[in-house]
Amino acid sequence: MIRFENVSKVYDPNIVGLDGVNVHIDRGEFCFLVGHSGSGKSTFIRLLLKEFEPTKGSITVAGRNLQRMRRAALPHHRRSIGCVFQDFKLLPNKSVADNVAYALRVTGQPARSIRRKVPEILQLVGLGDKMNNLPDELSAGEQQRVSVARAFVNHPSLLVADEPTGNLDPDTSVGIMQLLYRINRTGTTVLMATHDREMVDKMRKRVIALEDGKVIRDEDKGLYR
Amino acid sequence: MRFRFFFGEAIDSLVRNWVMSLAGIVTVLVSMFVLGIGTFVFFNVQRAASGVTQKLEIEVFIKNAASQDEINKLGDEIRAMPEVRDMNFVSKDEAMNRLRDSMKGHEDVLQALSGNPLPASYEIFLKDTNQTQEVASRFYDNPAVDNSAITNTARDPIKLAGGLSASATTMTVTAGGGSQLAKDLYIRVDHEIMRVTDNPVGDKISIARGLFGTTADTHADGAGVYSTDGVKTGGKTTERVNMVANYTLIGGSGFVVLLAVASVLLISNTIRLSIFARRREVEIMRLVGATNWFIRWPFVIEGIATGLLGATGAVILVIIVQNSIVNMIKQQLTFLGAEAVPTFWLLLAIIGGGMLLGSVGSALALRRFLKI
Repeated sequence: MIRFENVSKVYDPNIVGLDGVNVHIDRGEFCFLVGHSGSGKSTFIRLLLKEFEPTKGSITVAGRNLQRMRRAALPHHRRSIGCVFQDFKLLPNKSVADNVAYALRVTGQPARSIRRKVPEILQLVGLGDKMNNLPDELSAGEQQRVSVARAFVNHPSLLVADEPTGNLDPDTSVGIMQLLYRINRTGTTVLMATHDREMVDKMRKRVIALEDGKVIRDEDKGLYR
Repeated sequence: MRFRFFFGEAIDSLVRNWVMSLAGIVTVLVSMFVLGIGTFVFFNVQRAASGVTQKLEIEVFIKNAASQDEINKLGDEIRAMPEVRDMNFVSKDEAMNRLRDSMKGHEDVLQALSGNPLPASYEIFLKDTNQTQEVASRFYDNPAVDNSAITNTARDPIKLAGGLSASATTMTVTAGGGSQLAKDLYIRVDHEIMRVTDNPVGDKISIARGLFGTTADTHADGAGVYSTDGVKTGGKTTERVNMVANYTLIGGSGFVVLLAVASVLLISNTIRLSIFARRREVEIMRLVGATNWFIRWPFVIEGIATGLLGATGAVILVIIVQNSIVNMIKQQLTFLGAEAVPTFWLLLAIIGGGMLLGSVGSALALRRFLKI
């Protein structure tokens, strides 16, 4: 599903983001990406989304080589990946339903199927009664649920989450984790960057640890350590 | 469905940034209003200009004393001139009828006239307006033409009672016999003709000899003094009207271009602000996989809508102003006869112009501030 081959990323004034990373993640895996701030987690995820190019190496996602991808194909690439961010990244002027609908609209889905799918997915994340609220009117946990709903509404084969529980209290975090776990159970590959030790230890899934841009550990059913 | 979504997004943004939107709309309104009024003015100046050009170019008035033979001979001469496109004889009675027609409603003024003081005339139309002065000058010394260079006398231009005398540096024309020289007259020495205007009323006039060619022989028999009274030309008026028409066109279009540039910049600024205000949203849209045009369309529609709203306001204003001017002129300045620009063309020009300004403005903003 994801293949990083000897990937390095150096930011402009000689700051190393990633340094010679080799990672292979299979379809349907649930995988944690752990490490301190600045260890390269975000760089890893942003490279996946092709927000910028690696300085060296090649990245393949769902069989597509990102370096050989044409610019016009970029939106399609992004649509095939659902993303959840620490700061939710919801459109502030749109209602919860419209936020989720936006992800469907960009794919050119007909209005009828949007009207059907949006309430469905919002029910699934437990926000069926807040469809017409603005994001500001929701709690942080609820906003993150909207964000997860938006990421999953297209049923992408890969869901990427960058510190999705970073802004949430432990109880709310558990709710989000359960959601991600359920999504993984439908066959979706889930990659989650986090430094939530408790969560990682509880889940016992594959853990890839980064430090100073290098992979220092990669083990199945691992712990945060 | 997609278009409806984009349209909704654009309207949403227009309403949200309503102050800037209003500024854009008002600029478009002003520039399109000026364009509309300019079109109206130019349309009418052109109309007047073409009307004047079609009017007669030379009108030769005939002396009351002239015999029928003289009149016929003059007509034959005019017809024989190669420059003449068409000519027309207007008798004294016809001249009177025309005056009566043009003064409908004020016939009482004509009651005061005893008999018919109007002269008969030839109306002459030329092939080329530029020849007006040259052809007109041929009639200055025609005995049948009513050229009253000398007032209060027999109105015979050829025979000056006083005559022409000359010194080394000046020539002096004397009317003599107690008569006065006209204010505006032509002096001919041999074949050179010189015009003297604003001549102080008196019985003689002196001119520097140097104004004529040095070869002019002041004792030549052919010397004479003529006024232009009996020959009228339309050439000057035509020229002036054409000049005014050209200046209105140049000045007007310069002004419209300036305003158009201002509108484009203002719309582009409005869109830029709206892009800036939503840069985070644009970022999110990209992350969710929106294509470039999916992001751009709402902004483009926003620009076009700004142009369209401004233009619609302008059309309404122009139609109101134009019609009230036309009505006012029709009621009070009957002879001018202004006419409104046909609404269809006005609509097309202004609405089209407004939308063009809007789309250019947003395209400018998108190119510079929405690099995707």
